[in-house]
Amino acid sequence: MLRQQRVYLALFVLHFVLIITISCRDIVWLVAHKLTILPAPFRAAAEKLEPIAAGVLGDKLSTPNPFRRALLTYLHIAGIDRGYGYFAPNVPAGYKLVFELHYPDGRVEYELPGVSSAAAGLRVATLLDEIGRSRSDPLREYMVKTLAASVWREHPGVIKIRAVFGSLNLPRAEEFERGKRESYDFLYAYDFSRAEEPAKAENH
Amino acid sequence: MARWRERLRAFLFPPEADLWLGLLRIGLGLQVLFYTLSLRADWNYLFAGPGEGLIGRALPEALLSTESPLVPRLGWLIMLATRIGCSESTALSIAWWGMLFAGGCLVIGIFSRASAILAWFVHLCAAESGGFISYGVDNFMTIGLFYLMLSPLPDRYSLDQRWRKLPSKNQRLLGFFRRVLQVHLCLIYFFGGVAKCLGSGWWDGSNLWRALIQPPFNLIAPEILIRLKYLFPVGGIVICLLEISYPIFIWDRRTRGIWLICICAMHVAIGLTMGMYLFAFVMIVLNVAAFGPGLGLARGEKLVRAPAS
Repeated sequence: MLRQQRVYLALFVLHFVLIITISCRDIVWLVAHKLTILPAPFRAAAEKLEPIAAGVLGDKLSTPNPFRRALLTYLHIAGIDRGYGYFAPNVPAGYKLVFELHYPDGRVEYELPGVSSAAAGLRVATLLDEIGRSRSDPLREYMVKTLAASVWREHPGVIKIRAVFGSLNLPRAEEFERGKRESYDFLYAYDFSRAEEPAKAENH
Repeated sequence: MARWRERLRAFLFPPEADLWLGLLRIGLGLQVLFYTLSLRADWNYLFAGPGEGLIGRALPEALLSTESPLVPRLGWLIMLATRIGCSESTALSIAWWGMLFAGGCLVIGIFSRASAILAWFVHLCAAESGGFISYGVDNFMTIGLFYLMLSPLPDRYSLDQRWRKLPSKNQRLLGFFRRVLQVHLCLIYFFGGVAKCLGSGWWDGSNLWRALIQPPFNLIAPEILIRLKYLFPVGGIVICLLEISYPIFIWDRRTRGIWLICICAMHVAIGLTMGMYLFAFVMIVLNVAAFGPGLGLARGEKLVRAPAS
């Protein structure tokens, strides 16, 4: 084997070890968090495997560690920073965000976070999923607040915006046949006004 | 040991023509054009700075900086542009036009390498700065453009090659980069299939139903879909099996055509029924470039010039 080919082989092995490790880590995470149909013994094994995958990917190193940073940079620039479990193991719940726009004359209008094109619409759905899945209250509130600000710029006469965030309940096929339709479960509500800082009004 | 080494070399560095690379370049060029044009009206709105736009790029870029300050982002381009007196909006427009230009150049094959690098860089910046609004299509575009810019461009179908009459490329290197793409696709489908098999909803068809009726993917009315409810369990199982067995059947010349057609048909169906046109297109491009060329040839068969009759 030529020297150049050996170098390519080494890079090939490194690249695919990373891809396989990331993909395995994602699947192990799903199993460990009881999101799959696998029984308990698999979950126990997955919990043991999780730290190994994390170790290979440098997750245990401190954030400023140069090796960790170099590795993360490579993963991002090669597009291999995440696994391939799209719509898996199950299709997750969707989310909806509705803004109640309160005008000085008491009028109330309803608005959804909107964009011009269907392609950008898919990205808004991704954003709502991120908000819904976030475990950090301040992060979730920040994102909803930023979205509310974008609506506010479109409607400068509004004095208060109430943002209501909910998860989507989809009927099963049999339930749909019996007349059940999609519904929403209330998750969070935030009130925003011009004068004061936003305050979380309610959550479930 | 020497025999294994030779086998490995033969697998990783097979001599290849550059048809696959031409397909990848043109396909990804079209993908970049479609991506850019589809976001034309919302580009500045999606990627604007704090206090403007939909969600802004400030938070994703800040989170990215804590992970690694070296990952490209739109903030770099904007900082550069503002230093020479351009506004943020102008800088974002330049980035959009730059990507459109790179996509066009890739399609016709002019400045192939530079265009691939430009398209990869600007798209990566947008995908990373987008953060919360990035989804699968961005991942696969990054993967495809990353391999394209590293591959031995230009291919013989490009204008670059016709005008500049460059020496032909190392066929073993061409074969190596095609193998990289092929192996990566096998891993993508295998792990995607494994993850699906672990969910109960793919075995009873409920995931297919949920995926098709969930906004914003609900292009087909559920009243129509419900008539096909008996097909959902079959469809779910077929998708799982198709994906998980892809790394086995795509290599065998006898089954490669069937698997390639089935996988492409699956992506066409995803595009048409769920409105994920960009996602469908990039997956078809990657599959066709990786496994399309040479599809009609039997094992050991080579293309030879027939004698004139």
